Amino acid sequence: MAGVAASATIVAVTALVFVLLYILIGGIGSMNFSIFTQGPVPMGQEGGGLRNAIIGTLILISIACVIGLPIGILGGVYQLETNTTFSRTLRFFTDVMNSIPSIVMGIFAYLIVVLPAAEISPGHAFSAFAGGVALGFLMIPTVMRTTEEILRLVPVALRDASLALGASQWRTTLSVILPSARGGIITGILLALARIAGETAPLLFTAFGNLDFNVRLDRPIDALPLNIFNYATSPYENLHHLALAGAIILLAIILVLSIAARWALKGQLQD
Amino acid sequence: MKAGDGLLQIRSFDRSLLIPRIRSKIPKKIFITNSIYVMKKHVSILGAALLMALAISSATLTSCGGNKNGAAADSTAATTNTLTGAGSTFVNPIMTHWAPEYQKSDSVTVNYQAVGSGAGINNLIDHTVDFAGSDAPMNKDELARAKDPVTQVPDVIGAVCISYNVAGMTSGLRFSGPMIADIYLGKIKYWDDAQIKKMNPGKKLPHAEIFTVHRSDGSGTTAIVTNYLSKVSQTWKDSVGEGKEVKWPNGLGGKGNAGVAGILKQHDNSIGYIELAYAMQNSIPYADVQNSSGNFVTPSVESAAAAASAFPMPENITSFITNTSAPQGYPITGFSWLMFYSNGPKANMVKKFVQWVSTKGQDDSKALFYAPLPQSIASAIAAEVQSGTASAASTK
Repeated sequence: MAGVAASATIVAVTALVFVLLYILIGGIGSMNFSIFTQGPVPMGQEGGGLRNAIIGTLILISIACVIGLPIGILGGVYQLETNTTFSRTLRFFTDVMNSIPSIVMGIFAYLIVVLPAAEISPGHAFSAFAGGVALGFLMIPTVMRTTEEILRLVPVALRDASLALGASQWRTTLSVILPSARGGIITGILLALARIAGETAPLLFTAFGNLDFNVRLDRPIDALPLNIFNYATSPYENLHHLALAGAIILLAIILVLSIAARWALKGQLQD
Repeated sequence: MKAGDGLLQIRSFDRSLLIPRIRSKIPKKIFITNSIYVMKKHVSILGAALLMALAISSATLTSCGGNKNGAAADSTAATTNTLTGAGSTFVNPIMTHWAPEYQKSDSVTVNYQAVGSGAGINNLIDHTVDFAGSDAPMNKDELARAKDPVTQVPDVIGAVCISYNVAGMTSGLRFSGPMIADIYLGKIKYWDDAQIKKMNPGKKLPHAEIFTVHRSDGSGTTAIVTNYLSKVSQTWKDSVGEGKEVKWPNGLGGKGNAGVAGILKQHDNSIGYIELAYAMQNSIPYADVQNSSGNFVTPSVESAAAAASAFPMPENITSFITNTSAPQGYPITGFSWLMFYSNGPKANMVKKFVQWVSTKGQDDSKALFYAPLPQSIASAIAAEVQSGTASAASTK
């Protein structure tokens, strides 16, 4: 049995190593400083960079966090603290939402943000905000579920102690339960971030992509996964390499996020 | 449970450590766990996040209009100086040239995204974009769904290559239109079929089954190819027909040019169709195709332009230009179109852009393997764009 488990691990790790090697070998050659400072150039010309896409992805992730984290964490707390038919139904739907394909979330954002915007100002419907909504809603179920699961692990004795000292239920949750489960919650958030950072499908008809540099939330915005997708399917060799460089940067962003969170939580993580 | 252990040690509470808002809400004498200290840190993280959000929104406010328009541009100028377009992947390379060029000449920012011809048309119908690009004109259903009158004008001319992967054949295979139809119909099964041999004397064709590749996504390229095959083969017209998506008798589908090229690479003895630019950039071999005058023509910018010149304009401005009568014209040639609302809020801006595309914009085309629009079409476009009646007629 141990042998089977070991070989399964080896298969998984090998696949991961191959993917990483493929990205690194293909993309490292085109990694240079101008990738971070230049925007896209017309196809068929040499050079060009991913500046717009990198900044776009960071902005999209920020909007997604602003929308997704409060709803996700508070929703998880609610599901833990209450045990009514309503909260059980809610939990069931969270599980269903977890397995919804990301493109469906894109369609959802298209329907609730992009189409109404098209009614108000025809031709100017796609926006960074719409992309952030799609990604934010994609985060919610993951964050909600992990928050609830992690909070469940906090010993009942802690809760009892807090309540015995006269703290109200919400004071207990906010001051005792949530802080002591912080490490686990952050891990859940990171999982959700890693999931949304690489999403292309929900951005196709929400954030849309932009040839121009943009940081306005009401305008279309570029994103790394969109660029990787477009460049990888383009006829031009240098764009294929740019796509791989984009993949490296995307990996790096996720890595930096993880390390930053670990660093922020130094000494707080539960073992 | 490191944090938990700490929680059980009750300490006297130091109010000065808390931020004022919380301080005021907590009574002076209270025993509290060190989780409050933890919470204070928590609050500071939250504060950092809020600051970040603030920084982003202030950056947003100060940089209205994007860096290229300069600091003077205010937000209203930014929305009126932008054109958003979506659609055909086929015109995307030249669009990425047009956008910065046009910005220089008219200080209007064009943002075009290659989401595919079908998706682009749907975006125009939803009016989420100002214009759409498509390699097939909008059909009756689509025009009906659009409600408002739509103008459709060609922007570039492109050739579709019949590409193949046969060992030892790097170029120069020859096909006729009906033969291509029979291959895709499965009537010609082997590369050394008598018909293929007869057309390619001196070529050592293997006795191997032909593996056909087509586009799996709704594609203007498919529309051009199937339109051509319907013109040259009655059997094709009756059994498969034409459109952006058709029911293929056999073979494998790939998404986009890249998908088809990928399958071609992996399967020996395969045949497929891809755009000229894609075949040229990736050195994929392609065939000469016999046109209606009986000449075998290599797909190229020149032969595509020759093909288009044989069609009278503007009658054909929204129709296919396959199977040309020009002796040196390549038969699998098609327009790509731009479409927009004739009386939309930004109709004038789009019209100006379209006219620029049909004149100055054509200078860029050859380097990117598109055929420039002939003068006759450029003037037809100018007329089409200027007269409201012509655009209304084109919706029918």
